[in-house]
Amino acid sequence: MSVLTLRLAGPLQSWGASARFARRTTESVPTKSGVIGMLAAAAGIERGDDDRLWPLAALRFGVRIDQPGTRVRDFQTAHHGVTGKSMPLSERFYLADAVFVAALEGDHPLLAELHAALRAPVYAPFLGRRSCPPSLPVELHLHDHGGLQDALREEPWQASPWYRKQFRGRDEVELTVLREADAHEQNAADTLRDQPLSFAAEHRRHTLRTQVTCSVPIPNPSARHLPRHDPFDALDEESA
Amino acid sequence: MFLTRFRVNTARPGARRLLSSPQAMHATVMSSFPTLLPTDTPPPDGPRVLWRLDHTTRAEVMLYVVSPDRPDLTHLVEQAGWPAAAAADPAEPGWQSRPYGPLLDRLATGDRWAFRLTANPVHHARRKDDEPTKRTAHLTPVHQMGWLLKRQETCGFRVLEKPDAKRLLPGGTTHTKQPHHGDRYELTVRDQRARAFDKSRSTGTQGGRRAPVSLVTVTFDGRLEVTDPQLLRRALTQGIGKAKAYGCGLLTLAPLGTAG
Repeated sequence: MSVLTLRLAGPLQSWGASARFARRTTESVPTKSGVIGMLAAAAGIERGDDDRLWPLAALRFGVRIDQPGTRVRDFQTAHHGVTGKSMPLSERFYLADAVFVAALEGDHPLLAELHAALRAPVYAPFLGRRSCPPSLPVELHLHDHGGLQDALREEPWQASPWYRKQFRGRDEVELTVLREADAHEQNAADTLRDQPLSFAAEHRRHTLRTQVTCSVPIPNPSARHLPRHDPFDALDEESA
Repeated sequence: MFLTRFRVNTARPGARRLLSSPQAMHATVMSSFPTLLPTDTPPPDGPRVLWRLDHTTRAEVMLYVVSPDRPDLTHLVEQAGWPAAAAADPAEPGWQSRPYGPLLDRLATGDRWAFRLTANPVHHARRKDDEPTKRTAHLTPVHQMGWLLKRQETCGFRVLEKPDAKRLLPGGTTHTKQPHHGDRYELTVRDQRARAFDKSRSTGTQGGRRAPVSLVTVTFDGRLEVTDPQLLRRALTQGIGKAKAYGCGLLTLAPLGTAG
């Protein structure tokens, strides 16, 4: 099994799993449907092409919260560009200043193809909504061996320097990981309706997906070490 | 000469009073010498009592004292230490004191040491031409490091330069051709503290309220090479820079290997 890791960082992100009508909410972590949709777009899979979407949707998905960000609400009073008529009032929620590492586990050829597609995308990747471009390249690494959890444990901390500064005193940080449950974990898992079945424009369909929450220790590259300085060491050397 | 180490029990009210006022700490340190009368003034060019507080972590504070005589810190243990633990162990009175002379005698040109210094870097400035100069604190790391580098010659040491592989800038020089001390030398500056406190008694003839004493202290960590043992001995026993009574100017050395 190979694992493809992605860095989802941008000024705004929005990942809806249960958003309907005029209230467009966001989950606090990227959804599988959002990330699969981004990869499908990069690979040039058209909407409604369910046969090509199916192998992507079968990938195992996990995400690590490197920097949780803050939720912001946009009260949108848009007007139609041509007629000037007001559009329905809507509330749109975003995650501001968040950074995530997403990982997809599957067969190597498919992941290698997706990795290449992200470097030369057919449709540009975006973070859940077209108005949310990524601020850094999305693709990170293609891990040739090891599982989802190993890849999410090995990937360095991607948070911004200003955020890491708050953790200067710690050598290690505990980051939350949300990943698809193994077969034996089904009882302890949450469910989320973000497993894509079809992205057809006329009828998008999603099914339930099980998800477990755990945490991984990640070394902190910004940890500040005070130099050890004990003048008595010089005296001890003397007596020794 | 003696080097003394005392760990401050930061949970005690007495410790908080001492840590919040350099003046109170100075009085406490000075009263640990039975032979020293409060009316004594130290000879201007002789060894003197120097002290420094090392705030290693939030609750770990070490007091270091370098002094001509062996101190008795019993009163400090009672106010800001662990008196019961000190009483239980007759070998350890609650502080450690060691002769400093052997180390001072051993210093030789070319020796390399890790050092730490808490100092009060100042310069004298005037805003207008017809104004008298006024002692003013250096507030940026560039100036604070520059202050120390200007003094290294007369203090008998040289701050080691970093090898090129450890530098981030070519030659330790910025794009505006300014030397970047922190990149060029094995030297860091941290823990800047601005303190202001009132002198508890006004001693002047005018007797009125005097302006508070204000003080900026920083801690330097780095590596040095001894260039003149005699001058370095002087710096180690007499201190570097201003505000020596308020916990500044005490330079200490440690073997390079343990400093990491």
